[in-house]
Amino acid sequence: MTELLKVENLRTYFETERGIVKSVDGISFEVRKGEIFGLVGESGSGKSITGFSLIGLLDANGKVQPGSSVKLDGREIVGLPDQELRRIRGREIAMVFQDPMMTLNPVIKIVDQIAMAIRAHEKASDQEVRRRAIEALTRVRIVEPEKKIDQYPHQFSGGMRQRVAIAIALLHKPKLVIADEPTTALDVSVQADILKEMKALVAELGVSMIWISHDLATVSQISQRIAVMRRGKIVETGTVAQVLGAPQHSYTQGLLDALPSRARPGEMLASAATESSGPIVLDDLAKTAPKAADGAFVQVDDVDMVFERPVGRVGRFTQKLGISQPPHAVHAVKGANLMIRQGEVLGLVGESGSGKSTLGRIVCGIYTPTAGKVTVAGRKVREGQRKLGTGVQMIFQDPYASLDPRRTIFQSVAEGPLAHGLTTRRDARAYVNRWLKAVAFDPALADRYPHQFSGGQRQRIAIARALAMQPELIVCDEPVASLDVSIQAQVINLLIELRRTLNLTLLFISHDLSVVRHLCDRVVVMHHGKIVEEADVAQLFEAPQQAYTKMLLDAVPKLAV
Amino acid sequence: MTSFVFKRLGQAIVVLIIMSILVFAGVYVIGNPVDVLISPDATQAIREQVIAEYGLDQPLWKQYLDFVGSMSTGDFGRSFVFNMPVGELISQRLPATLELAVIAVILASLIGVPLGIYAGYRPNSLAARIIMAGSILGFSVPTFWIGLMLIMLFAVQFGILPAGGRGQTASLFGVPFSFLTLDGWKHLFLPVLNLSLFKMSMMCRLAAAGTREVMTTDAIKFARAAGIPERIILRKHVLKLISIPLVTVFGLELGSTLAFALVTETIFNWPGLGKLIIDSIASLDRPVMVAYLMMVSVLFVVINLSVDLAYAALDPRLRLKGR
Repeated sequence: MTELLKVENLRTYFETERGIVKSVDGISFEVRKGEIFGLVGESGSGKSITGFSLIGLLDANGKVQPGSSVKLDGREIVGLPDQELRRIRGREIAMVFQDPMMTLNPVIKIVDQIAMAIRAHEKASDQEVRRRAIEALTRVRIVEPEKKIDQYPHQFSGGMRQRVAIAIALLHKPKLVIADEPTTALDVSVQADILKEMKALVAELGVSMIWISHDLATVSQISQRIAVMRRGKIVETGTVAQVLGAPQHSYTQGLLDALPSRARPGEMLASAATESSGPIVLDDLAKTAPKAADGAFVQVDDVDMVFERPVGRVGRFTQKLGISQPPHAVHAVKGANLMIRQGEVLGLVGESGSGKSTLGRIVCGIYTPTAGKVTVAGRKVREGQRKLGTGVQMIFQDPYASLDPRRTIFQSVAEGPLAHGLTTRRDARAYVNRWLKAVAFDPALADRYPHQFSGGQRQRIAIARALAMQPELIVCDEPVASLDVSIQAQVINLLIELRRTLNLTLLFISHDLSVVRHLCDRVVVMHHGKIVEEADVAQLFEAPQQAYTKMLLDAVPKLAV
Repeated sequence: MTSFVFKRLGQAIVVLIIMSILVFAGVYVIGNPVDVLISPDATQAIREQVIAEYGLDQPLWKQYLDFVGSMSTGDFGRSFVFNMPVGELISQRLPATLELAVIAVILASLIGVPLGIYAGYRPNSLAARIIMAGSILGFSVPTFWIGLMLIMLFAVQFGILPAGGRGQTASLFGVPFSFLTLDGWKHLFLPVLNLSLFKMSMMCRLAAAGTREVMTTDAIKFARAAGIPERIILRKHVLKLISIPLVTVFGLELGSTLAFALVTETIFNWPGLGKLIIDSIASLDRPVMVAYLMMVSVLFVVINLSVDLAYAALDPRLRLKGR
């Protein structure tokens, strides 16, 4: 195969207030015709910046350094004037982004967005634009494209929006498509479909593709050759089998070892993280831990949750007159029953919109269910109940949003225990330090603010904050979903360690089946608000009973080595 | 959507009722119009006759009901001072203020928004810095001073534009407007400019802030990655995305300009509503004040309702929610 793109010594530097950041620092690779080339790395590795550098779309403070070379079909792109670069973008090199909710303009009809992309490079009549828009949407398997092109993005699901973005990228049959985490924001089943379709489209149109991702499994599924990036440099490159099958570099090996899917369930994961963290110090905390016990500790009985927009009197009146429709009610949870034993970790699995987070919040008492009840240790959970505040705690997905940026770590962790009389102002310091040590966070840093810490450290703080309330149950809502694999491995290890010594009872909500398998004792699968299957972890993964569970398990991308 | 409109109309009626009570009560607590209307040396008989004629001998609640009753039939009473129906008085003055305010706000948008988009698009360029600095000036320098300077410069120094007054009018649908004649435009130019500078600065800063924010979004990056030319990105993507706050300010400014253009109207001797209300306050001309304030509340209610409807037109996501 001949090469289409040749990148040599690409260096992209950013000028920031804190000096020059070498985001991409001298990388070289080539992409062959008709090939899918995977670019793998953790956040901050420079993989996305590499993509943007190729088409000259950097923020104002970023610059491709002289001496860099990017040749497309033998033609040097670096240093081309803006007008020339614009002509290449979309026509010869197209791009697809991660978040399909953000990439399409929410206030412009699909057909008009496609029209703009067509007219960026050629003249076309309105009729021709419509015809080509329909053709483009048909190509990415959107049903009823004649109707759909006149709709707005919010009328499309996430997967459909990403298909539209792909359709736009393919409009001019470019030579190269750069796909930056194109399936990361999608549900596994949708991701599986899009992976398959992308592969087929690449083969059908004969385009080449650079697939940028943090997810080794999807990359191994779709690409022929891959490069592993770390801190602006490529540490290893080769075919999928070479790099992932027999990694030469310790970093690649570390990434692979950090994957929960490659370890035995419940085992500590090896972590390639370089982030320093102290040892977990539990003092005598373990002694006061409750004993594991059989029988239901947390009980969820026939819980229903309907979200409705309040209509008010006027709304009811206009409904009676027949001039307005009743608002759309969302039945988020339908007749859910589950129980958790003391000291057990229950996984709650489902795709987006399955109602898993809603159920988690009901268990926490954040929402009052429309029907049914929840009891924890024999007490009923009710919304806004103060006493329960210490009984059930929550850990959220986004450690950036769940810590108050204006409070120090100490203040954030101490607030709850102080309010509930678990400690006094005088003893607060020692009390907080004990829990920070329990999550391997250096108490000396407790007077700093959240922005000074990385995502992994913040998630530790969030866990310490929950633990410090000495809860009977912790609801973890996707606690590792936004973390890099190596950091994710650390947090998973921490949770394993903590539950072992403190006998924690956890409700672990996740879309990631490999994490659930690794951490949980039993699993509940939710689909469209209903619990469809409940089983022990081993049994569910070995012999799923329901068709939906089987589909979900099949859709999970596996490392193709 | 229908239920939304009905709800807003209901709210509007409540607002108007509360306003009418406030206005009526507020105005009736200050001063006694009889003292202004009748010369102190008038006989007691004439005094009482006048009081009865204007219904001032009735209890307050009765006067209020009469006032609401007659207002709902379009009768705002007679002006004490001009001795003519208030409705007529206001409709004589309204076109002058209307054209002044509408042209000023449109001018502010047509100039302010593109300048702001440019300043937000190239925030580090010299032009952007000049625009942003100029907009701060437009904010902070008082209107009356700019008005006086404009008169000094264009009317006194160069003598190319008139210093005040309204020019020749031509009638459109039976209403006299001065923007239909050249002379009218000459008279309009300075007051419009004076009135629009503040709004222009506001629109400009708003557009600049919006553009800076929108430019960093994935939607814009994606459009660029598709090779769409920058001017189309600005015109179609950016303008649509930043339009909601702009429309809000446009509506509010239109309302407040119509209602409170009085500084400019005074300086340029513009025969509009602003002068009328100031004169009527000075002479305690109650019916005019009341009618004027009611008109202003109706105006704001109508403008806000239109702004809300404009949101739905601009952002398809809101159409769904309103249902």
